[in-house]
Amino acid sequence: MSRREGSLEDPQADSSVSLLPHLEAKIRQTHSLAHLLTKYAEQLLQEYVQHQGDPFGLPGFSPPRLPVAGLSSPTPTHAALPVAERLRLDAAALAALPPLLDAVSRRQAELNPRAPRLLRRLEDAARQARALGAAVEAVLAALGAPAREPRPEPPTAATATVAAGVFPAKVLGLRVCGLYREWVSRTEGDLGQLVPGGPA
Amino acid sequence: MPAGRPGPAAQCARRPPPPLPLLLFCVLGAPRAGSGSHTAVISPQDPTLLIGSSLQATCSVHGDPPGATAEGLYWTLNGRRLPPELSRVLNASTLALALANLNGSRQQSGDNLVCHARDGSILAGSCLYVGLPPEKPFNISCWSKNMKDLTCRWTPGAHGETFLHTNYSLKYKLRWYGQDNTCEEYHTVGPHSCHIPKDLALFTPYEIWVEATNRLGSARSDVLTLDILDVVTTDPPPDVHVSRVGGLEDQLSVRWVSPPALKDFLFQAKYQIRYRVEDSVDWKVVDDVSNQTSCRLAGLKPGTVYFVQVRCNPFGIYGSKKAGIWSEWSHPTAASTPRSAERAGPGGGACEPRSGEPSSGPVRRELKQFLGWLKKHAYCSNLSFRLYDQWRAWMQKSHKTRNQHRTRGSCPRADGARREVLPDKL
Repeated sequence: MSRREGSLEDPQADSSVSLLPHLEAKIRQTHSLAHLLTKYAEQLLQEYVQHQGDPFGLPGFSPPRLPVAGLSSPTPTHAALPVAERLRLDAAALAALPPLLDAVSRRQAELNPRAPRLLRRLEDAARQARALGAAVEAVLAALGAPAREPRPEPPTAATATVAAGVFPAKVLGLRVCGLYREWVSRTEGDLGQLVPGGPA
Repeated sequence: MPAGRPGPAAQCARRPPPPLPLLLFCVLGAPRAGSGSHTAVISPQDPTLLIGSSLQATCSVHGDPPGATAEGLYWTLNGRRLPPELSRVLNASTLALALANLNGSRQQSGDNLVCHARDGSILAGSCLYVGLPPEKPFNISCWSKNMKDLTCRWTPGAHGETFLHTNYSLKYKLRWYGQDNTCEEYHTVGPHSCHIPKDLALFTPYEIWVEATNRLGSARSDVLTLDILDVVTTDPPPDVHVSRVGGLEDQLSVRWVSPPALKDFLFQAKYQIRYRVEDSVDWKVVDDVSNQTSCRLAGLKPGTVYFVQVRCNPFGIYGSKKAGIWSEWSHPTAASTPRSAERAGPGGGACEPRSGEPSSGPVRRELKQFLGWLKKHAYCSNLSFRLYDQWRAWMQKSHKTRNQHRTRGSCPRADGARREVLPDKL
């Protein structure tokens, strides 16, 4: 096993590797940020369903899990991947979320113009996802495992060929908010394994 | 929402939603290849209807394998299952719904009408917008802070309850020329208000009105015509100080500064003072304070803390004939009257003059006249209100009952003048 500081080659040995103090601080800081954003993401979801009306938010409400281009939920095998790969997937998802959240925000500005707190949370979520994604990429770079090459920007609305009704738009927004919560929570868990003294 | 009695025919005003970005691909019900799942489409999509109207909707199922059946489908509205008697199977793949006498939408994002498969899964949805067209906004009132801006407030028609998102737009233009302008800063002093921060003309009237618009129509208020100079308000008077008047137990002196923002515009000011005892919510108002920056409150309780506020009304700006608009009250300033064993009478609410100031009460008015006469006929140059107040303080301190006594000061006896000064008669 390499004894190089900051290596992610052997995730089982992470806790025993003596990380540089600044790197350790960075990881702790990013983990704290992810923890905070997980709470915010939960609040966003609650605020969102409240403004869409029932059955959104009712127990047992199970809309179709619509596919969202460029982003999907963490796979069941995510936790079994090496830490570096998990963090790369986290960073990629966090980079894909902001334009999706922006689109939901614009749609909700039309559907719920008198819901300033919801609109503010959606705008904040896009910024927070960018910030957390950048922080995760910085951690990866410091650990010698940089994130993958950035993907090309998705097509803009000018080339959109899909027009959706209001109900599908509400469902899609719920899906995006759900994905945001899933990925910040997943990132918090993955970073937790790097925090010295955290779970292996 | 639905009811048994049929209502008027539905008015469906559809507004096509903007397309979502391609990256947000999905149309609810898009079939997944090889999944064998059914999808559906509800018609109409996102209709707008009047309260009390009816709706006929259909849910058409299609999917893989073909020949999907409408049997077993059901409807929910805002999460509640609709009675089966409201539905009927039109054909093998279509379930119809009839809703009558619709109530106003429960949320502004629209009521959620959903078509479910037998197992409860969601096949399709449509959002209903049920409400009323806006009524005419009214009661527009506007004011200008120091002639620099204009803020207007209005009341929405029908108290604003249209059950639909209603947009209000404040418009204004110069009365005899110019184009329509739209106010841009909304909700500055409440939900139905707008602020115009700059570029306003003086000495020429404006026409102002409010337009209300929602999915079902629009309405326009009456036009308000005003000149900015006639609706001016200003800041509350700064530097309000409240202090004791020597040892006088029933008086406090209030001083303030004229609001500086309008000092160059040659206006007269009216002031109002209000004051209350510390542990009371009842304010007493003194409202005959014209164009002066000090006042004395009299008839107060001794040994009591009072809170005092002052506000200003500018009028006569540039020759305007109209009174202005009262400013906000100044921040409360507190002071206490001196303590005494004797209790004064109830607060009078009058504004007593300070030394040398014109009298505003009957006793002091007469005293002023007498002092003036004395000065003229008895050559008593050192007589003044200040001397009178000192005498009062001395009287209270000594706790003596008022008796007639001779005073002989530096006042030479004038012909016809009374030889004796009778303080108790003053």
